[in-house]
Amino acid sequence: MTDNVEQKDIEDLRERFLNRDFDEKEFEISAEKTISYARLCGETADRFLDENHPDFQASSTFVASLSGRRVLPQDFPKMGLGMDAGKGVECLQPVRPGKKLIGRTHVHDIYTKTGRSGRMVFAVSRIEFYDEDGNHLANSDSRVVMREKSK
Amino acid sequence: MLLDLHTHSIKSDDGRAKVENYCQWIKAKALPLDGFVLTEHRQFDDESDYSALAEKFGLCILKASEVETEYGHVLVYGVTPELQKAFDFASTHLELAVVLSESKKHGAMAVPCHPGRPKVGMFAHTDELGIPEGVEIVEIHNGGSRDQEDQIAIDNAEALNYRGIAGSDSHIVSHIGRCATKFSRNINSINDLVEALKAGDFEAVNLKTAG
Amino acid sequence: MSIATLSDVEFGVELPTFEPDTSLKTVGTFAELVGWGGARFSDHEAARKEGLAGAMVPGILSQGYLVAMIHQWAPPAEIKKIDTVFRAPVIADEPHAINGVVTDIDDEEGLVEVDITVTNEKGETRVFGTASVKLPQ
Repeated sequence: MTDNVEQKDIEDLRERFLNRDFDEKEFEISAEKTISYARLCGETADRFLDENHPDFQASSTFVASLSGRRVLPQDFPKMGLGMDAGKGVECLQPVRPGKKLIGRTHVHDIYTKTGRSGRMVFAVSRIEFYDEDGNHLANSDSRVVMREKSK
Repeated sequence: MLLDLHTHSIKSDDGRAKVENYCQWIKAKALPLDGFVLTEHRQFDDESDYSALAEKFGLCILKASEVETEYGHVLVYGVTPELQKAFDFASTHLELAVVLSESKKHGAMAVPCHPGRPKVGMFAHTDELGIPEGVEIVEIHNGGSRDQEDQIAIDNAEALNYRGIAGSDSHIVSHIGRCATKFSRNINSINDLVEALKAGDFEAVNLKTAG
Repeated sequence: MSIATLSDVEFGVELPTFEPDTSLKTVGTFAELVGWGGARFSDHEAARKEGLAGAMVPGILSQGYLVAMIHQWAPPAEIKKIDTVFRAPVIADEPHAINGVVTDIDDEEGLVEVDITVTNEKGETRVFGTASVKLPQ
């Protein structure tokens, strides 16, 4: 991959990498951790803070803090330091602390644009979270922006 | 007539606003806008037809484009099928000279936007690349500007005798109408808008500071 | 006013703004909790050496503040989707405001769309996005 990415390179990347699971990881989520998370975010609702609440659950965006072993596939081209350009979370069912989560990661989108810091390549890495029974609980998208090196 | 000349909808990769919600917002908040122009990133949205929404809400909704050149981002008003064949709107490597000349040739108007912004603004590149020929109008108020970005745009536009437009550069509903452009004539179509721009018949308004 | 049901929500209403705790101590604790220990989240000087304006608030903490604001406004609200764009760094120890406004109400689905932003003292948007929130009918 050259320093300055052409549209064709992006098409090639999309062809090679989109929508293919490249990582699977298990997560053990403790109540102590999700409660601390909620508290530091400023949550006030008891269902996120009180372990004894009948609907006790992790904060809606807690899954955004869970990373797979890799953000992008191992053979994804190196295009400079990746920066966090945005996060998206889709909550399908509550995530219950104390239960095991399985996260499967794929590249969901790749595109380019120019911004205040120059021309950039964006890759959206999505982790789909499931419980042990295979119920799909949440999706967490990370938009990684890779800044092209200056000419 | 007051139009926000720079807005993005969910058609843009980083846009999060539905066009209907823009309309509802303008009416609910009694914004002084008479309409807005959707300037989606690196594309011209051929598909969408907003005429029913325009009629329902009594607003003028027009479509344009925001393309990317070596001098930064450029709004293109008056996009035609022929102009879309003249250069690749999706490219991030367009030449400003080509965008300007082809726009002119096809009866459109190309306007560098947020020109005071680092990297994506025209005046960030003029020291290195020179003053481009053919620019007549630049965006001097942009709703997303930070620090001195608008002032850099205003000062340079004045020095180079460019006229100035304004737009909110909204990506979410509640950011529409932060900046807009006032026309003394009625604008009902993209052709009306291009004619008014060519005639210099407008004034940039910064509604963020208008109170 | 605390929101309990969808019928309490009006289009265009602003959610009560809150000023989050962006102190370096809290930010550092959060970064450590999620395993993002690193100078850029806990040390202004070290962050400046990396070319930043100071130690940063992790994007997911900004997202957490935004969700907390929604729950403060409407305790029974279920976040169905949240999407945030990090436009510029949120710097620790600097005051920021967490803002939201209702921009769509879907009565049939019981969903409310909220524009969400994190702004600094100059009123500049550092983070923006939208949240789709389900409320009891």
